[in-house]
Amino acid sequence: MRDRNQLVLPIPPPPADSETPLVPARMVNAWVYCPRLAYLEWVEGEWADTADTVQGTRVHVRTDTPAGRLPSPEELDDVMSQVRAVTMSSDRLGVIAKMDVLHVREGVVMPVDTKKGKRPHVAAGAYEPERVQICLHGMILEDNGYEVEQGAIWYAGSRERVRVKLDEDLRTRTIEAVRELRAAAETGRRPPPLEDSPKCSKCSLAGICLPDETNLFNRGYPPRPLNPAEDPALPLYIQTVPAKLRKRGEHLVVELKEETVEVPMVEVSQVVLFGPVSVTTPALHALMREEIPVSWFSTGGWFLGHTIGTGNGNVAVREAQYKVAFDARASLSFSRELVNAKVRNSRTMLRRNWRQERGTDGKEDALTGLERIARRALQANDFQHLLGLEGEAAAIYFSHFKQLLASEAEGFEEFSFTNRNRRPPTDPVNAMFSLAYAVLARTLTTTISATGLDPYMGLYHRPRHGRPALSLDLMEPFRSIVADSAVIQVVNNGEVKLRDFASNGPACSLTSKGRKALIAAFERRLEQEATHPFFGYRVSMRRMLEVQARLLARHFQGEIPKYPHYIPR
Amino acid sequence: MAKERLYVVAYDIADQRRWSRIFKLMKGYGYWLQLSIFQCRLTARRRIEMTIRLEECMKPSEDHVLILDMGPADKIAPRVESLGKSYEAPTRKARII
Ligand code: SF4
Repeated sequence: MRDRNQLVLPIPPPPADSETPLVPARMVNAWVYCPRLAYLEWVEGEWADTADTVQGTRVHVRTDTPAGRLPSPEELDDVMSQVRAVTMSSDRLGVIAKMDVLHVREGVVMPVDTKKGKRPHVAAGAYEPERVQICLHGMILEDNGYEVEQGAIWYAGSRERVRVKLDEDLRTRTIEAVRELRAAAETGRRPPPLEDSPKCSKCSLAGICLPDETNLFNRGYPPRPLNPAEDPALPLYIQTVPAKLRKRGEHLVVELKEETVEVPMVEVSQVVLFGPVSVTTPALHALMREEIPVSWFSTGGWFLGHTIGTGNGNVAVREAQYKVAFDARASLSFSRELVNAKVRNSRTMLRRNWRQERGTDGKEDALTGLERIARRALQANDFQHLLGLEGEAAAIYFSHFKQLLASEAEGFEEFSFTNRNRRPPTDPVNAMFSLAYAVLARTLTTTISATGLDPYMGLYHRPRHGRPALSLDLMEPFRSIVADSAVIQVVNNGEVKLRDFASNGPACSLTSKGRKALIAAFERRLEQEATHPFFGYRVSMRRMLEVQARLLARHFQGEIPKYPHYIPR
Repeated sequence: MAKERLYVVAYDIADQRRWSRIFKLMKGYGYWLQLSIFQCRLTARRRIEMTIRLEECMKPSEDHVLILDMGPADKIAPRVESLGKSYEAPTRKARII
C-alpha cells in the first residue's frame, strides 16, 4: 500500500502522438481490476463474451444513443442540461472515453457512468476500478476546458447513484494506472496472472488467460477448473453433394437435392466441406464476420485449405513462436518430448484396447519395445535419429493394431491390415486412418489459429508449403488417443461395414455414409471428458486440445518453462 | 462443460412484418416446433442476447413473448406428450450432412 505521509508526484504518461493509440478509459478500469485482463483485451485483442458482458451491453443500449449536444466550455454558464454518449479524448493522458451521461449545472459538468450491478457496500462508495474510470472521465473533461467537481456512478441493479470525489489520491492512482497500461503496451510485456484470486472465477477471459495453469509452474498449487466461457458451438460438416450453403437471417441453410437443413449460426463453430459444395458470398461473409472458419477438403478427404476472417491479430505470439522454431536446440528438446509422448500414448492404446479374444501373444514384447523407444527418444541427438525412432515405434504399433479390433465385427478379417499406407490408402483401415488424421489436423489448425499461433510453422515437422506443421506437431500425442480410437469405435460397434468402402484401382476410400459415421465417432470422441494429466481437472477432449494450444503459446512467450505434452496415464 | 438450458419460446405478434422478423430471428437461436413456437438450447449468454434482440424487434404494448425455462438441457428429459407427430428435444452434437 502507498504510504500516506509520503508525497507522491503524479508523473503523467508521455503525451500521445499520432502513432500512439489512445487507450479507452474502460481499459484503464480493467487494468486496475487486473492488469493482465486489460493487456489481453486491449493489446492482444482477446475478447470473450459472457452473460455478464452481454448484460452490461444491454444496460448501455440506452445510454449509448447520443442525445443532446454538449455546449463548448465558454457557452456553458447558464445552461442546465443532460447530454448522452459523448466521446472525448485527452492527448495529455493518451486516453479516450465514451461517457454515458454528462450533467451540466451552472457551468460545471458531472460525468455519470452506468454500471449494471448493485451498489457495492464499501467505504469509498464504489470499487476502485470504477472510481478510477469516472475520475478519468473527469480529467478528460478538464483537459478539454470544462470545470468538473465530481463524478457519479449509477448502479442500474439497485437504482442508486454514488458520488465520486475526484481528490488527489484518486487522481494520482488514475494517472499511475494510465501510465502503467501504456508502458506495458509499448514494451509488449504481458503482466502475470493474479494469484489464486476470486476475480478469476468471474473473469470472462479465464479460459484464455489460464491463470492457475500458468501459475502452477511458478508457484506450485493445483489449478481450479476455470472454464467459464466454454462455447457449446460445434462443427458443421457437409459431405453430401451436390449441396449449397446459404445464409438466411441468423441461420445457415444447406440445400440438398432432396431436403433442406437449417442450422442456427450460433451453434456452428466451424464449417467443414468435402468436395464440390458451393457457398454463397453472403454466407461466406457472415461466417468470416462471426470468425467461423471454413475448411475445404477434396471429395477424397484431401485437406485443401481454410477460409478465415481477418484472423487473430496477436503478432507477439507468432514472433515468440518463430524465435523458438528458429532455435535448433529448443526445437530439438521440444521434439524429443513430443516423440516420447506420441510413443507412450500409442503404447497406452495397445495396452488398454488389446482384445482378449485375440490372445496375448506378442503383447508384452510390443509394450516393452515401445517403452524402450520412448525412453531413447528423450536422448536422441538429432532430428534424423528421432524420425528413425518414430518409424520403429510405428512399425510395432501398427503391426499389432488389428489386435484392437473385435474379431466378431462382421467381415473383419478381410481388412487384413498389417501396416500403414497412405498415398493412396489401399485398404479400409488405412482409408479410415487417412480421413481421421486429416480431420484431426484440421481441428488443430483451427484451434491453433484461434490462439494466435501460426499453424504452418512447426518445430518437429519442418515447414513445407501448405503443410500445417505446427498442427501436425501438436497432433502427434493425440493421434492414437483421438483419431485411432474413433477408428476402433466405428469398427467394433459395427457403425462402419465393409460395404461402406469403395475401391478404385488400388485405392480404397469411404463412401459418403461411411465417412459420415467415422466423422460422427470422431466428434463424439472430442466430446468425451478426460482428466488433464497435469492439472488434474476434467475437461472435454475438445477443450483439452485448446488448453494444450494455449499452453504452447504461453510456453513460447516464456510464461511456462516447459511445455507439458499430453500424456494420459 | 457448457451449461445450456432448454427453453421453449412462444410468441404472439400483432403485426405481420414484425412476426416474420421475429420468426427469422428465432431461427438463429433454435428450432421451429410449430406456428409461433420454438425450442432452443441456450447458454446464459445466448439467452440474454436473444432477449435483447427480441426486445428490439417487438412492440411491448402490442406483442407478447413468453420464454419458458425447461431446465438444464443435458440433464432433463421433458415429459411431453405429442399427438400426431413425434417430438424430439434438440441435442448437442456435431452436424454431419
Ligand atoms: S483470469 Fe484472472 S488473471 Fe487472468 S485476466 Fe482474468 S482476472 Fe486476470
